[in-house]
Amino acid sequence: MESLFLIKPGEILLKKENQKEFTRRLIQQLHKRLGDIDCAIEEYPGRFFLFVDERFSARAEFVLRHCPGLNGFSRASMCPKTVEAILEATESVANKAIASGARRFKVETRRSDKSFPLGSYAMCAKAGEILLEKFPTLAVDVHNPDFVVNIEIRERAYVYGHTEPGARGLPSGSSAKGLLLLSGGIDSPVAGYMMAKRGAPLECVYFHAYPYTSEEAQRKVEHLALKIAAWCGSLRLWVIPFTDVQMRIKRLAAENSTTIMLRSAMMEAANLLARRIGADAIITGESLGQVASQTAENMAITGAPSNLPIFRPLIGIDKEDTVAMAKKIGTFDISILPYEDCCVLFSPKHPLLKPSFAQQTAAYASLDLTSSIEDSLSKAEKFVYKYKDVLADFNIE
Amino acid sequence: MLTYLDWAATTPPDLEILQRALRESSEIFANPSSTHSAGKAAKQLLEGARSSLLSTLGPSFGGNKNPVGLVFTASGTEADQLPMLALLRNPMKGNPSSSDGQIRPHLIVSAIEHAAIDSQAEALGRLGFDITFVKPDTNGIVQPFKVAEALRPTTRLVAVMAVNNETGAIQDIGAIGRSIASSAASLGIRPPLFHVDCVQALGKIPLDLSGGNVTSAAFSAHKIQGPKGVGALWHAKPIEALAVGGGQEGGLRSGTENIFGIVSFAACAAKAVPSMPARLEHALLLEASLLQGLKRISGASAVPLGREPRDPRYSPWIISAAFPGLGGEVFARALSDAGIAVSTGSACSHTHAAKGRRVLDAMGLPKELSFSSIRISFGPDTRVEEVQRFLSTAEDLYRRLKT
Repeated sequence: MESLFLIKPGEILLKKENQKEFTRRLIQQLHKRLGDIDCAIEEYPGRFFLFVDERFSARAEFVLRHCPGLNGFSRASMCPKTVEAILEATESVANKAIASGARRFKVETRRSDKSFPLGSYAMCAKAGEILLEKFPTLAVDVHNPDFVVNIEIRERAYVYGHTEPGARGLPSGSSAKGLLLLSGGIDSPVAGYMMAKRGAPLECVYFHAYPYTSEEAQRKVEHLALKIAAWCGSLRLWVIPFTDVQMRIKRLAAENSTTIMLRSAMMEAANLLARRIGADAIITGESLGQVASQTAENMAITGAPSNLPIFRPLIGIDKEDTVAMAKKIGTFDISILPYEDCCVLFSPKHPLLKPSFAQQTAAYASLDLTSSIEDSLSKAEKFVYKYKDVLADFNIE
Repeated sequence: MLTYLDWAATTPPDLEILQRALRESSEIFANPSSTHSAGKAAKQLLEGARSSLLSTLGPSFGGNKNPVGLVFTASGTEADQLPMLALLRNPMKGNPSSSDGQIRPHLIVSAIEHAAIDSQAEALGRLGFDITFVKPDTNGIVQPFKVAEALRPTTRLVAVMAVNNETGAIQDIGAIGRSIASSAASLGIRPPLFHVDCVQALGKIPLDLSGGNVTSAAFSAHKIQGPKGVGALWHAKPIEALAVGGGQEGGLRSGTENIFGIVSFAACAAKAVPSMPARLEHALLLEASLLQGLKRISGASAVPLGREPRDPRYSPWIISAAFPGLGGEVFARALSDAGIAVSTGSACSHTHAAKGRRVLDAMGLPKELSFSSIRISFGPDTRVEEVQRFLSTAEDLYRRLKT
């Protein structure tokens, strides 16, 4: 048995000359994620159709839900372009909806094949009439329906009910690669997800301060990286042993500036790593004013060691909204596991809120951390997460 | 080779005893509640173990004259819970004002109890009990008069542990019991139930509860080289169980008895208690070696501050130490990498911190010290060289990791 999914691309339809290129990437991403299962993707203006063996429909749904670049998708049935065949298919859509408790419905028809004998309005009316006749519990409600029966008369006729939302955004690979500073917290995985939706392939970097941070904290970050890979398709995680750098900062920096210095050092390391792995941007989960180190003044200083653009997609997002997104993408429950950084010892009692750029960047330069940072990068541990690992994590065949 | 200095968490099982018990309980495998001869044999094995443990506990527990007073449980925690949960059967029992909905039944619990008591008390608090947590002094000792002061006509139960599992502080159970009795007399009420968690005391220090009017006491097998999953509750007064079932263990702890565990437990106790005087001498050597060694590590200190060797107020088997500037959890992790197992009373994460530091915080220890404390605990197999190894490793790691 074959399943058919009707796919609605989103933003890429707004592209003019480049639309072909974006479409190619989206199709490529879908194929890459679907893997070696038997499937076919047909491409029509404004619609793609995915045919997949019924046994793999769960995988197809997962891929369609997580692949950036498409607005939504529906399980559809395909039928000959005859009124009888279409009506039969609408009954099966209604049957499913009724089984899940729906009562009010409407029918929508799009007829791009103008040679079809019935007009859109007439097709809707006909289908509505038949459904009301067959299913006495149903009632028409065009304003607030429980379900919509969609009929599309194109090269063939397609009938479908509920449309599942897709990730929207742009297909992975449409933008330059970004390096995400991933901590174990709530924000950075969400920042990664947001940039993945803008079509950025991602790699992640985590700064591990063993024994100050535990192995469990690292496991947690590994799991978060895997969750982000569900959106961008695959990724690499770099674990940088940062204890020596941190100790040097603790020893040499003024107590109230240790956090700024540490963040600057992480930025310097990320910048070096980004160059090495061919990333053209750095991504952080910073949000304006969320903590003392995330003021404009602080970000100017901590961003200074990088000459790549720094993307902070959460900069204007409230914490509650970030939490809601983290829950949606399944990272929240991992982030709140109680293996937080043991950075308590490294955080000053009264951090600087409005530090002077000139003073702090000079202070940072005087710490002379570059060789320690280079050394930590040379000891980086690499983890690779492929899409098959993502599928295994979600228990999908 | 692991240097295991975490005997207060659990102990290496005594294989000889466990294997013998496994053989015996496999041969005599029937259900002790069965009426056939095989069942009777199992019952006999069970009662033999009960009687043996009672006689090991000694005369202050009534000898083996009253075997109904000792029931086997699945853990020390369960033995702690039973008398507390039983209060829910009839929360206002014996209280003249019980018809008045305004008055809540009351519990007195020391602020240094194991979570088995502490969390259970909090849970009862959510079910309508008033709870008074009695703080210890800075030495970790609960003052008897403080317990007596907390007494109310509505007090149903008092719980104070015999030996604290983090500091090793030995509580004066006899004096606490007498204070409760005299305070009750002056209030004109009958003394409340008095439960004592003896998990870190049995087989480790002399345990004599006489004169304390103790009504129940909890024990655990795996702290004395028995298997995990067995505990015991001794009780001097009838307890009506909240959870019921087949009626085993006098109805107090239903469920087919864990004969293997119970037989092992009785045998481990029978081995540990008589050899205690010699073992204690050994423990005092280990304690002295550790406490003196700590003094030589710059910045480190024993907790409570100023604890000296051979102080009769502390169990020599358990010592807490603070290494300021280094989180206890971090230090325990680094020691673990160096092949040394110790525990931490404190955890770095905020979610753990509140619980982990509860005992030391209750003593009024400065945050910087409680945050950075670890617990070192010994057993009869611990060697002085192991303590020395701990000291030199700790000194080295502390110097390198301290922030």
